[in-house]
Amino acid sequence: MLEIGIGIVAGIISGLGMGGGTILILALILLMNIEQHVAQASNLLFFIPTSIVATVINAKKKRIDWKVGIPIALSGTLGAIIGAKFAIQIESTNLRKYFGIFLGIIALNEIYNLIKMYILEQKTNNKNKSK
Amino acid sequence: MMTKKVIIGIMSGLISGFFGAGGGMILVPAYMYILKMPDKKARATSVFSIMPMVLASTLFYVQKSYLDLQLGIKCIIGGIIGGIIGTKLLERFSIKTLKIMFTLFLIYASIKLII
Repeated sequence: MLEIGIGIVAGIISGLGMGGGTILILALILLMNIEQHVAQASNLLFFIPTSIVATVINAKKKRIDWKVGIPIALSGTLGAIIGAKFAIQIESTNLRKYFGIFLGIIALNEIYNLIKMYILEQKTNNKNKSK
Repeated sequence: MMTKKVIIGIMSGLISGFFGAGGGMILVPAYMYILKMPDKKARATSVFSIMPMVLASTLFYVQKSYLDLQLGIKCIIGGIIGGIIGTKLLERFSIKTLKIMFTLFLIYASIKLII
């Protein structure tokens, strides 16, 4: 049951467009003590049906830029093969640490975005006042 | 232009394959700010681009028996329900507070995993 609950939370965050995959992996390793590789594989599996459905809908609504999407998909697949090959050779405890560092970088980037947004809001507020 | 695309692709693929997540976090901003795509198009195109990366990565994890099918399917069931709720919430609420909460949680988790 806990797995379904974790899936729901990750799904909500994905639906909000904030990186549900990282939350899914985190919840699996922290709350259920799932091994890092297994948690990552679960997220990969999680993404397959979602992305197929989304792509069919997006293609029908003509939201996909194929000229950009296809070359990136191809070079990305090459990158993914290299990345996955490395990941499966690394010890679980180390992979977990690298994942922690990766999350830290994402958090710093989010803080930067929030500060940028805050400054922009202040500026528009000031402009409105001076009017 | 092509070199830019290839570099963006390889970077997001490396992250996607290595961490089993996060490809979109690289691709969406890259599409928006480097390739100047509008928001909706960037998100839709990134989901399409990541699909083959995820399929290729999955094969490697399966090969080493890292895939727990039962666990994965349970997560997918929850994910479908959550996805619908999330999309509906997005139409109603500002996500700023959620973003701050999400960021705080990431900082906590990051420290916990590194130490």
